[in-house]
Amino acid sequence: MLLNFNSLGIWKWALLTITVLTAAFLLMPILFIAALSFGSSQWLIFPPPSWTLKWYGALLSDPRWLEAAWTSFRIALIVTFFSVLIGLVASFGLVRGRFMGRSTLRALFMTPMILPVVVLAVALYAFFLRIGLNGTTTGFVIAHLIVALPFSILALTGALEGFDKSIEDAAVLCGASPLRAKLQITLPCISHGLFSAAIFSFLTSWDEVVLAIFMASPTLQTLPVKIWATLRQDLTPVIAAASTLLIIVTVLLMLIAAAVKKGLKA
Amino acid sequence: MAMVSLAKPDNEKRNARRRPVLSRDFVSILPALLLVLVFFVAPVLALLSRSVTEPVFGLQNYIALLGSSTYLKIFFNTFFVSVLVTVISLVIGFPVAWTLAIMPQRWAMVVFAIVLLSMWTNLLARTYAWMVLLQRTGVINKTLMGMGVIDQPLTMVNNLIGVTIGMTYIMLPFIVIPLYGVIRKIDPAILQAAALCGATRFQSLRLVLLPLAAPGMIAGALMVFVMSLGYFVTPSLLGGTANMMLAELIAQFVQSLVNWGMGGAAALVLLVVTLSLYALQLRLFGLAGGERT
Repeated sequence: MLLNFNSLGIWKWALLTITVLTAAFLLMPILFIAALSFGSSQWLIFPPPSWTLKWYGALLSDPRWLEAAWTSFRIALIVTFFSVLIGLVASFGLVRGRFMGRSTLRALFMTPMILPVVVLAVALYAFFLRIGLNGTTTGFVIAHLIVALPFSILALTGALEGFDKSIEDAAVLCGASPLRAKLQITLPCISHGLFSAAIFSFLTSWDEVVLAIFMASPTLQTLPVKIWATLRQDLTPVIAAASTLLIIVTVLLMLIAAAVKKGLKA
Repeated sequence: MAMVSLAKPDNEKRNARRRPVLSRDFVSILPALLLVLVFFVAPVLALLSRSVTEPVFGLQNYIALLGSSTYLKIFFNTFFVSVLVTVISLVIGFPVAWTLAIMPQRWAMVVFAIVLLSMWTNLLARTYAWMVLLQRTGVINKTLMGMGVIDQPLTMVNNLIGVTIGMTYIMLPFIVIPLYGVIRKIDPAILQAAALCGATRFQSLRLVLLPLAAPGMIAGALMVFVMSLGYFVTPSLLGGTANMMLAELIAQFVQSLVNWGMGGAAALVLLVVTLSLYALQLRLFGLAGGERT
C-alpha cells in the first residue's frame, strides 16, 4: 500500500534516503555560502582556516555596495506600492465586472510571468533607449512593475473571489458610501491578499536580475546588478557576505509571511 | 469563455447587455491594461518586427540564424540542457514529492521549509554557491579526491555539466511543490484496493500511482522545460561563453553586437517555442495547471 508510510517496508527507507539527500542538496549551497562569508580565506578554502568578519566590513564600508542596496530597496518599495495599487483596482474589475473578454484579459495580465524575461528585457531596453528612460529609476520601476503585477493580480483576485460581496453591500445599505464600504469593510477582509501581493511584488523587484542588467547604467545599479558585475570578475568572499545578508532578508520575509498566515488561521 | 457567457441565464444576459460598454468595472482595469500594452505588448512586438525589417525587409535574419552551425549548436545546447534538467528534476522530484505527501507531518514541514528556502534564496546567491562548490579547487573536487574516487579534479564549471547541476537545483522545487499537491489528493483507498487485489508494490507503483500522478508530472515537466529554455543567469555564469544558450545569444546580439535584427529573430524563436508549449499545457490541463487535476 503505497500511500501509507508505515506499510511501505523497505521502500520507506529508500524514499526517506532520497528525500534526505535531496533536502541536503537543496540546503548545502545556502549553508556553504553562509559559512564562507565568515571564513578568512580569500580563495574560499573550505573549511576556512579561521573565522573573520572582514568581508562584512569590506561590504558595509564600500559606498558602492551600500548605494546599490539602497537603490534596490527604493525601487522595490515604489514597485510594491504601484503593483498593489494597480493590481487591486484591476482585480475589482476582473472579479466583479461582467464585460466581454474578461478571461482573455486575465490571461494577458499573466503573460509577463510566463514569457522568458530576457525577451522582455531586450524589448524594453530597445524601447527605453528610444524614449530616454534607460538608466533611470522610472525605467527600473516600469520594468519591474511589469513582472510584479501578475503576482499582485493573482493574489488579489484570489482574495476577492473568496470575499462575500454581500457584506460590502450591507455596509452600503446601512448608509456607507461605496468607496467607504470598500475601504473599511472589503480591504480589511482581504488584507492577507494585500499582504501577499506586497511581499511577492517586493521580492520580485528586489531579487530581479535580468531586467535590471539591461536597465542599469554605470551610475544607477541595483544590488543584483552589482553582484552580477562583481561575479563576472572574480568569486570574492565579499559576494558571500552580500549573499548571506540577502538570504537573511528572505528568511525574515518568509517567517513574517508564515506568521501572518498562522495569525489569520487562528 | 465565450461559450460560457452564452450559456448564462437569460436575465443576466439582458443585464449585461443593458450596461454601457465602458462600465466602471472596465475602467478600473484600464491602468493595468495600459501599462501592459504600452510597456509589454508593444515593445515585444516592436522587437519581433525588427527581425524582418533590419537591416532590410526580408527573412535574411532567420536564414542566417537557422543556417549557421554556430547558432544551431546553441539551439541544440539549449534543448539538450533543458531536457536533461527536466528529466533529472522529475526523477528526483517524484520520490521526494511522494515522500512529502505521506511522511509524518512534522518532518514534512521541515523538508518543505528547506524546499521553499532554496526556492526563495536570491538566484545570484545560489548560482555563486555553485560556482564556488564546483570549481577546480572547490569542495566537491577536494572531497572526491580525498576519498580517492578521482585523481584529477573534474571540470564542472564553464561547461554544460555545471549548467545542468545549477539549473536542476533551481528547477527541483517547481516539480516537487505541484506534484506534492497532486499526490496528496490521490485517495489512499485506491492503492489499498490494488494491494488487496494482489498487486505487488512494484505493480501498484507502475499501474496505479504513476498513472494517477502523471498529469502533475507532465504539467510540472512542461513548466520546468519552458523555464529552462529561456534561462539566462545560471547558464551564462556556470556555462561560460563557449557553451552559450539561447537567452544569452539574444542578449549578446543586442548588447555586444547591437544587431537588433538577429536579436529579434532569436527572440521570436524562443517565444514561439515557449508559447506553443504553454498552449499545449493549457489544452491538456486548463488554466489551473497541474494542481487541479
